[in-house]
Amino acid sequence: MYDASVFVLLFFVAASIVLYVVLGGADYGAGIIELLPIRNSEIRRKQREIVNRAMGPVWEANHMWLVIIVVILFMGFPVIFQNVMVSLHIPIVAVLIGIVARGSVFTFRHYEVELTPTRAKAYTISFGLSSLWTSFWLGVTAGSLFRGLISTQSADFYTLYVAPWFGLFPLSLGFFTTSIFSFLAAIFLVGESQDIEMKKYFVARAWKTNLFVIGTGAVVFLSASIEGYELMNNFFKNPLAVLAFILANISFFVLWFKLQKRRSFYTRLIAAAQVSFILIGWFAMHWPNALKLDGIYLSFFNSTAPEPVLNQLIIALLLGSCFIFPSLFFLIRTFKMEKKES
Amino acid sequence: MTELEAARYSMAFSLGFHIIFAAIGMTMPFFMSIAHYKYLKTKNSEYLDLTKMWMKGVAVLFAVGAVSGTVLSFELGLLWPGFMKYAGPIIGMPFSWEGTAFFLEAVAIGLFLYGWDRMHPWVHWAAGLVVGVSGFASGIFVVAANSWMNSPQGFEIVDGVITSVDPIKAMFNPAWLHQSMHMQVAALQAVGFGVAGIHAYFLLKARKTEINKKAFIIAMLIGSGSSLVQPLIGHFAAQRVAVLQPAKLAAMEGHYETSTRAPLYIGGIPNDEKEVMEYGIPIPGALSFLAFNDIDAEVIGLDQFPKEERPPTAVVHISFQIMVMIGSLLALVSTLFFYFLFIKKNIPSLFYKLAIVTSPLGFIAIEAGWITTEVGRQPWIIYEFMKVGEALTPVAGMQYHFFLFLFLYLGLGFLTFKLLKRMVNHYV
Repeated sequence: MYDASVFVLLFFVAASIVLYVVLGGADYGAGIIELLPIRNSEIRRKQREIVNRAMGPVWEANHMWLVIIVVILFMGFPVIFQNVMVSLHIPIVAVLIGIVARGSVFTFRHYEVELTPTRAKAYTISFGLSSLWTSFWLGVTAGSLFRGLISTQSADFYTLYVAPWFGLFPLSLGFFTTSIFSFLAAIFLVGESQDIEMKKYFVARAWKTNLFVIGTGAVVFLSASIEGYELMNNFFKNPLAVLAFILANISFFVLWFKLQKRRSFYTRLIAAAQVSFILIGWFAMHWPNALKLDGIYLSFFNSTAPEPVLNQLIIALLLGSCFIFPSLFFLIRTFKMEKKES
Repeated sequence: MTELEAARYSMAFSLGFHIIFAAIGMTMPFFMSIAHYKYLKTKNSEYLDLTKMWMKGVAVLFAVGAVSGTVLSFELGLLWPGFMKYAGPIIGMPFSWEGTAFFLEAVAIGLFLYGWDRMHPWVHWAAGLVVGVSGFASGIFVVAANSWMNSPQGFEIVDGVITSVDPIKAMFNPAWLHQSMHMQVAALQAVGFGVAGIHAYFLLKARKTEINKKAFIIAMLIGSGSSLVQPLIGHFAAQRVAVLQPAKLAAMEGHYETSTRAPLYIGGIPNDEKEVMEYGIPIPGALSFLAFNDIDAEVIGLDQFPKEERPPTAVVHISFQIMVMIGSLLALVSTLFFYFLFIKKNIPSLFYKLAIVTSPLGFIAIEAGWITTEVGRQPWIIYEFMKVGEALTPVAGMQYHFFLFLFLYLGLGFLTFKLLKRMVNHYV
């Protein structure tokens, strides 16, 4: 029974992470894409309007997954939460600064531009920079969990709070995250644009960001091997991770085929699936561990809250889902499925 | 600044910043829904203009509230990991409900802001209402989590290990009801008076008189109605504190010596060294009566607590007095408002001037009230179980954390203020 409760909770955690990375990721990526240089100011303006229209109704909801993840962690897995918050204090604070900046800048831009259109540029740059910053630090935080340098047994500030995340692997995972987020956004925005010129523009962006994904992805593996972090080894030992990797790569080809036809529904689905495969591979590789602390893997299964707490949390999550999913469906149906009528 | 002080100031400042936007985010959607309802019923376009005007304000302020709220959910762990390790499982229940409500609010605000003419008008109206209802609910849940720190229950400690955790019992602890009622009504007061003041200003300038008048009446009705109920809730809350946290009540009232027929001080500055109230006006027996409905009841004083377990009396007493004074003043102004509205049937321009003056007071009272309850709990983070110092993060350099968020929020607050000012000048 106890294990079953942990499984259910981990399912919720994993689902929330996937949803956060796919939906929130596209949201961060939109900011990053707006940062890329454009010569044509008309396209820049159109791009801003498309991003506003596409993200405006959903951005708040996209970021709620993060709050859900945090709540499940601190209620269900307090030991993990506590250790992450202490050892990765610095990158998490960096993420938070980014969240504050980009959330407010995005909303402010919308209302500011209505009043003073000349301010659009400054706001767009701040929105882009804070999106880039936040997704980078999210990647760094994720990259630090299993690297094995999280330590609680030292008197030295650097060893305790800097070394866990300051290294080639986490930093390159940070760049990989920014690339994958902008790739997701480009794919997502293809379907959000009405005119063919903008569709073409976003398809071109998708190609470019896809190259970034491949490049930074290679750097991630490279830096892992330079650091002596056994990513490759663990990876190939795990059949599910390998399968997920293969599926992620196959879907690239399908994606490009569909993208040529600009079938936005399928391309979105495939891009989302692709990112989910990468995450599933990542989970599978480390299953059932949450982080590596003082050289020892800390499993989700031996760092849980008492069983009654887990069960009540599950009930709360199930009841919460009854509210969240229908309303989310209604939101998506209202803003994202209108084109069928026309 | 010690590490502990820096962490406490960080938390205090983050909460103090967030609470303003949270108060607005969970109550102002109701204002908007009322105006929207009036529009849908009467088809008077002034109500539509008003709805959209308020909606823009809600959108900007909600965004700031949402991001600063996200920061807080992390800061609990970043600053107080020792607390979260033990308390997380126990108080996670209200937080998970808060998360759900916050999520619904985020979905509903997206639907409302961008959903004009995309759905049936009444469905759209309902989406706006859901923003308010779920925001209001999430406020109640968060305060329930805080109230557990004041009156912890729903767990047992056996040999230093927490067992028999009952999250539901923890959530419905003895302080949740009075604290959440007090907070939610305070938010209605603050936002009611805050919004009314802005519209009063433009009424005096004779700009868009019809719209501003409607806005003023809606905001004042909410602000005044809640201001007349609040003294009763406040009284109920104080009576609960007298039972649950006598040290906090003693600090609030500057009551050093345990006594029967205890006096209530109006004003005054507590002197912790001499353990006396200086310059205050005592009303004999009034504290006993207010706390226990009996002028001869014994009220426990700070002398019953060892010095290291007493909250800093001056801060608690003074902020409590500020809150009570503002509460009384707002109740008075509310009575005047109802008198002018229903009996005189005419609101004189002098009253609009008064409304401008009282506009920020509710927010000051909210801050003062939170200082009272939070500082009044010191040195405990979980009352009588864990001290704040034990919960502190081992990460060194909390001063940097404090200054970082201080400047971040000051900057954000400044930008928000500038933008709102421009928006108000343009739309109102």
